[in-house]
Amino acid sequence: MSSSSSSSSNAYDVPWVEKYRPNKVADIVGNEDAVSRLQVIARDGNLPNLILSGPPGTGKTTSILALAHELLGPNYKEAVLELNASDDRGIDVVRNKIKMFAQKRVTLPPGRHKIVILDEADSMTTGAQQALRRTMEIYSNSTRFALACNTSAKIIEPIQSRCAIVRFLRLSDQEILGRLMVVVQAEKVTYVPEGLEAIIFTADGDMRQALNNLQATYSGFQFVNQANVFKVCDQPHPLHVKNIVRNVIEGKFDEACSGLKQLYDLGYSPTDIITTLFRIIKNYDMAEYLKLEFMKETGFAHMRICDGVGSYLQMCGLLAKLSLVRETAKAV
Amino acid sequence: MGKRNCVLILSSEDEDCSNVRSSSSTRSYTKTKSKSTSTSSRGRKRPRASASRSNLSKLHEIDLFGDDFNEVFTGSKVSAGAHRRCADDLWIDKYKPLSLEELAVHKKKVEEVKTWFEERLKPLKGIYTNNVLIVSGQAGVGKSAAIHVIASHLGAVVCGWNTPTPVIWQEHLYNSGTGMKYTSKLDEFESFVERVRKYGLLLTSHTWESKPSSILLIDDLPLTNGKYAFGRLKDCLHLLVNSTQIPTAILFTDYGNADSADYNARCLDELKLSLESSGACKVAFNPITVNTMKKILHRICQMELCDVTAEDVDLIAKSSGGDIRHAITSLQFFCLKPNLGHSLAPSTCYPGALKDESDKPVISDDGYSLHFGRDETLSLFHALGKFLHNKRETGVATEYDHDGFLMRERLSRLPLKMDVPEKILCQAHVQPGPVADFLHENVLDFLNDEAIDDASTLSSYLGDADILLAKHRGMLSSYNEAESVLLSAAASIAVRGVLFGNSQPLSSRWHAIRRPKLWQVEKASLYKNEVDRLRIPACKRFSSYHMSIVTTEYMPMLKLLGNRGCGGGFHDPSQESLLNLEIEDFDFDKMDLDEQSRETSDDDIEDW
Repeated sequence: MSSSSSSSSNAYDVPWVEKYRPNKVADIVGNEDAVSRLQVIARDGNLPNLILSGPPGTGKTTSILALAHELLGPNYKEAVLELNASDDRGIDVVRNKIKMFAQKRVTLPPGRHKIVILDEADSMTTGAQQALRRTMEIYSNSTRFALACNTSAKIIEPIQSRCAIVRFLRLSDQEILGRLMVVVQAEKVTYVPEGLEAIIFTADGDMRQALNNLQATYSGFQFVNQANVFKVCDQPHPLHVKNIVRNVIEGKFDEACSGLKQLYDLGYSPTDIITTLFRIIKNYDMAEYLKLEFMKETGFAHMRICDGVGSYLQMCGLLAKLSLVRETAKAV
Repeated sequence: MGKRNCVLILSSEDEDCSNVRSSSSTRSYTKTKSKSTSTSSRGRKRPRASASRSNLSKLHEIDLFGDDFNEVFTGSKVSAGAHRRCADDLWIDKYKPLSLEELAVHKKKVEEVKTWFEERLKPLKGIYTNNVLIVSGQAGVGKSAAIHVIASHLGAVVCGWNTPTPVIWQEHLYNSGTGMKYTSKLDEFESFVERVRKYGLLLTSHTWESKPSSILLIDDLPLTNGKYAFGRLKDCLHLLVNSTQIPTAILFTDYGNADSADYNARCLDELKLSLESSGACKVAFNPITVNTMKKILHRICQMELCDVTAEDVDLIAKSSGGDIRHAITSLQFFCLKPNLGHSLAPSTCYPGALKDESDKPVISDDGYSLHFGRDETLSLFHALGKFLHNKRETGVATEYDHDGFLMRERLSRLPLKMDVPEKILCQAHVQPGPVADFLHENVLDFLNDEAIDDASTLSSYLGDADILLAKHRGMLSSYNEAESVLLSAAASIAVRGVLFGNSQPLSSRWHAIRRPKLWQVEKASLYKNEVDRLRIPACKRFSSYHMSIVTTEYMPMLKLLGNRGCGGGFHDPSQESLLNLEIEDFDFDKMDLDEQSRETSDDDIEDW
């Protein structure tokens, strides 16, 4: 991607993730139920304290920011305090900064409140969260809190108790595809459908990653097809891995092994290979017993690799075990 | 009382507001109303409060918050016609209990606390050695609400410690030339307690009335780090217990089944024990029962004129895990019904208007997804039910061949009558660890009595899942990719193992799903380790106890046990099972007791 940026200079200005970040709650993709409720809040005001939890790239931060913009409009600058993990959020900051902000007087239309946005709230220490607890209660008539986190279990119970929890799910492939098409058309990206499919596969329900991969591929090669996507994202080609699995199931152990060797020779680390392998197995249509056993063996192999035994031998051993499973399962 | 008039005038303006609202449903009218709206909303907040109570509620509010937001009369409006969403208050604040009857807390407990305060507030008070009451309970069961209501019932003022906004360390460094001293929150708390002990509470604001009696409420204990600070806090509270003249309530939030290994939680437990030992009374509030919760939620629904089906209320009540505050917040969020189609209708739904709306998110027919609720176990239960009942297509065994691959008959299964297990897991928003534990606890109920082979296959798969999970026991999942593969593999294996292993599913009948006993055992063993560690210094005192025995036999054994408790590292499987047995033996009687006591207390609550 170090090519001299001759083509479109403005493409380098803003990451597409930022450029196409929805400004309106209504434009947010996926999780319709949660988003439609947020829309009602955006229209009517009176935001309750919220915890948005869900995996990365599903639109948590985007929805809060959009909501805050819609609610406060021109007052956004003075009536929103946004802190994320990169800001100093130790206990004294929570005590001081957030409290000062809560005490600040801002003239807002009725039904609107100051908003404190705490992104990545699960990385706050328990101490800091404890300090937040009272502040939330005392200033509830002027200040509301919106927290975004990956797992709501990491937020201490008193805070959970004070908030409505909104859970976000991974986006479906159709939802990501829909948004990608919008971006593709706006940026006039040349593509083939398989390329987008590959992007969706690599993203795995994460919109941010999908857009990043799309932009990376486009600015690297000016053309989105399958090969380019996997070159940029540097994952083992899923089709290749799928072939390995199919060979195993069909009993062609040698072919499976040579396929693995090819992958290994391309320089992919065992962790990469096994992560892709696991995802392929998860979605591969095979008999129940086979799937269960395959998952089990892959899981164990993954564990060993994580423990540091990431050798080629280990991977071959995995294939052998899978073949063995296949032998036991086959009707004689 | 000029303000009362003011409120009344404003209430007529409210009517206008409602008219405007229903006709156009835009919020443009809001511009015309300036500052006065905030007062009116305040007034609307307590529509049912009788005027006689207004004084009291006003008093306690001002004292607690000391905030100029609250300098408005809170309850002088006697009847406020229709009660609408227009008010921009959180429902928790709006429907704060105002009388003893409205409290969700169990009556006996309320009575207990009330009599305690009554005795201490009597003008001719006897000599009580202790004036401190410890109120403990899970988050959101109404601890502070109970104290406030009881206080206003008894005509007392609640005073609390309002933490001053502290100086950030950097700022202090910047200012250090001026000779200001840095005071930590603990310092400030200490000096506050000191003042209270010596001089009582000085109430400056109520000169116009005979001085009401007061109650001190300590809700916000300063956080301590390290032994020294903790010791200071302990001493300071100890002094408070011994010498305070004012009835004082200290609130402790119990942390339920979260990680009990958390340092702070344990500190609090220790603090509570030490306070009790120095003579403070203790009242423990139980989680709110589902029935009580439903009653309250229904009442709020009626007053908000929002149409929520009984099932939804039921769900919210159940999924909040005994936390009334969270239930109300969830309800508020849930009542935000998106009615995008017709913009003319106001957002507050008239009863029956939306009855036919079929896109209720909660009752989607197949994938059960619950988007709210603190307690994840309810959605977990639904997922578990699916896995355990193991419904499959019936009829002819359709030849299940993929790419011409024929399975052995013993190992082939009929197709599942549900979504892909991974999808169900994802929708249930659960962590893999609890899933495996729950399946392990409950799966045997769903097996045929004769199917011992099935049981063995099942257990081996669950065991495999456990090995994969072992690294992550005790810590919550992070979004590291490598780890997430392991976790999802473990969850899949546990679930699919259960589905596969149960080869002859029983015809579906009702089974209760139990909470894993394993958790209790683990908690108990953790606790026991703690106790043992304390015991060692005690042993030293006996001269007969030879030091070498302690170091060569006792300590290594403890370490071994401790290792298990913290869930660190692997053990030999044989060793592990041995330990398991031993621990279970140890705690068996204790566990039984626990259960019994819980049962009785449960009954206690259910019967009112």
